[in-house]
Amino acid sequence: MNRMRLWVVGMLIVALVIGACAPPPSQPPPVEAPAAEAPAVEEAAPTEPTPTATPIVAEAGAGATRLIYWNGLTGSDGVTMVEMVQKFTEENPDVSVRVEMMPWGTYFDKLLTSLVSGSPPDLFLLHEFEIPQFAGQGVLADMSDYYDDHGGPVPVSDIYPRVLEALELDGARYGVPLDIHGWGLWYNKDLFVEAGLDPETCPATAEEFVAAAKKLTKDVNGKRADEEGFDPTQVEQWGTAVSWQKPTTLSTMWQFGGDWSDRAGNATLTSDAVKKAVQFWYDLIYVEHVAPPPAGFDTWQTMAAGKLGMLPEGSWFLNFANDNEINWGVCPFPKIGDEHVTWISSHVIYTPPTLAGEKLEAAKRLISFLTEQGALWATSGQPPARISQFESLTPDRYLSAIVLGTSFQEIGRYDFAHPCIQQVIDQGYMPEFDAIYNNLKTVEQGLADANARVQDILDRCR
Amino acid sequence: MATELSRTQGHTAHQRRRTWRTPMYTLTNYLFILPFLILFATFVAGPIFYSFWISLHDWKILAREQPFIGLANYINLMRDGIWWIALRNSLYFAFLTSIINTIFALVVAMLVNAPIRGRDFFRFVFYAPVVLSVAAMGIIMSWMMNTQFGIINYFLVWFGLPPVRWLADPNLVIPSLSLATVWWGFGFPMVIYLAGLQGIPDHLYEAARIDGANTWQTIRYITIPLMMPSIFFVFVTQLIAHFQVFGQPYIMTGGGGPGRSSYTVIIYLYQTAWRYFLMGYGAAIAVALALVILFFTLIQFRIFGRRSVIEY
Repeated sequence: MNRMRLWVVGMLIVALVIGACAPPPSQPPPVEAPAAEAPAVEEAAPTEPTPTATPIVAEAGAGATRLIYWNGLTGSDGVTMVEMVQKFTEENPDVSVRVEMMPWGTYFDKLLTSLVSGSPPDLFLLHEFEIPQFAGQGVLADMSDYYDDHGGPVPVSDIYPRVLEALELDGARYGVPLDIHGWGLWYNKDLFVEAGLDPETCPATAEEFVAAAKKLTKDVNGKRADEEGFDPTQVEQWGTAVSWQKPTTLSTMWQFGGDWSDRAGNATLTSDAVKKAVQFWYDLIYVEHVAPPPAGFDTWQTMAAGKLGMLPEGSWFLNFANDNEINWGVCPFPKIGDEHVTWISSHVIYTPPTLAGEKLEAAKRLISFLTEQGALWATSGQPPARISQFESLTPDRYLSAIVLGTSFQEIGRYDFAHPCIQQVIDQGYMPEFDAIYNNLKTVEQGLADANARVQDILDRCR
Repeated sequence: MATELSRTQGHTAHQRRRTWRTPMYTLTNYLFILPFLILFATFVAGPIFYSFWISLHDWKILAREQPFIGLANYINLMRDGIWWIALRNSLYFAFLTSIINTIFALVVAMLVNAPIRGRDFFRFVFYAPVVLSVAAMGIIMSWMMNTQFGIINYFLVWFGLPPVRWLADPNLVIPSLSLATVWWGFGFPMVIYLAGLQGIPDHLYEAARIDGANTWQTIRYITIPLMMPSIFFVFVTQLIAHFQVFGQPYIMTGGGGPGRSSYTVIIYLYQTAWRYFLMGYGAAIAVALALVILFFTLIQFRIFGRRSVIEY
């Protein structure tokens, strides 16, 4: 009996050691964030015909005070950011900046590790909805003193009030905003013309949107989805797509008056409003046959290949569209429900609470400078968070930023910044939306499961 | 005479104790293993036990206090639907990949062990994918398996076959990931098998041929029995490694999609600990996975360990 026990204990130790030592075939790699994350934003001046590669690390200036600045701008918007930083170091020769860009997924891991180890970057970029998650861990500095109402350089009166509100938590103001980005509708004007649609007029309602999608969807025999004999099993050109499911679904459910929680600790994904929203997109795929099942469907590449008519997508799509010479048009996300609403977010620059002395002073100058460069930042399609900068944009150079930025002012809504927001998105509702849109679950079942999962997360997060 | 024998042929219990307690003898042995022991205790044993300790707390990485909650994390885990989905997917992937890899690598090893022309070239080619990082392999394979633009579907359509939704079909996604992993990793077990095959004495095959055995009989009655230790080693290590699959679904299916069709335990662990900062729950997932691996390893030891050793 003793030998048996010894043998079992020995095996337990051996297995634990083997488990710990075995070289897994799959170490956590430096990869793009999961689909639930914001797609990498992109950039380059709209007039540029070819894409510009974003450097992974860029050095700017040679000043003695050296700052490390991390962000997740791995798209061509990283090029614009580096350009902005270089301008700063030219005007501030005493400061040098090392800009390190990495995919958002890797970025969060690195940032957390650096914060834990006590060696964080001097500046880093996050979104406004991540404030409770990070501030709750005590790793964000209260940056109220960056604003002129607390003696700092950033004019409070020049920032859209809703953006400022989004940065405030428990009496503190976290970060300085760069932009208000969000969700809109991009379309291919050539395909509109071919389908007999007016390329200068956007579908604005659910009926118009579905009608346009039908005209834009074509099978291999050239039959359109609103024509007799259309073969939905052999679609060659799609009218639209669900695209990134989070903002598409959130925008639509908000329009019907729903949300993922009641903001009082209860999940509300089984409400009729949410069902209507999800059912709308489900029907576009499986009833109208004008949108593909999302799994394995690359919306951006299909848009670039001229096989997708309308794409719900973010303001960051601009440079991809330009780089791929898409004859694009853009308009606000259509009004599908009862109220016109669309999802918005903001890129915000932060410093850690440990930053002090010369570096803190240099970081303040850099942040102040970057927020002054909203017009340059808007060449990536991202509307500035500063009122004066947004109003200075001209349609010849900033058309998409103006169209979408105006809609963000009028109908934009920030998501509920819950301390466990990332978990709610990644493990709560996104996999269930994905299961519904890929027809693995019914709308009712998927939303019931999503609701249970979100409720579980909310309960444990209290 | 009897006393003489006991002195020369072995140690009595009394002698063993005395030798064991000889200070110089003991000290020398300990000094030999000390460097490894320090590294092992610091980087393997310590973290293992510390993980278990963390799993007994509501451990949030940056919080000032970590409240002790006993087995609450484990109780929550047993009620957690995502854990069971992730475990089912991990089991499916691990067994499928390990079985295919174990068999396929053995077949390939036997082929490249045969005296064929260009044998070294084939060995090199088959081993080459092993040196790729999971990121490189994942990106390459996800493009090849892309439903719309992938080269595999391109050729399928070219041959008049319908395109396959390799990574988009929930029923196909894990076999597709498994296929990619086998392509990537079968070179390593192939090398182990080659070493094993080259250790089988030629005279056994010569005797079999003299006795009139055909190729299949030779494989069935000589190669496979003598390769069983290698097969066992390969299968156990493959299973342990593939239980911990992370990179392939993380890269190729956007972190476990469609839905949760390829969501694995390590992705769950990674997200829980490093995206949501819930180290206590993440540690509980890690310990639970270690126990699952232990369970299946014990079963394998039971099954394979009973085979008698063949000496030659």
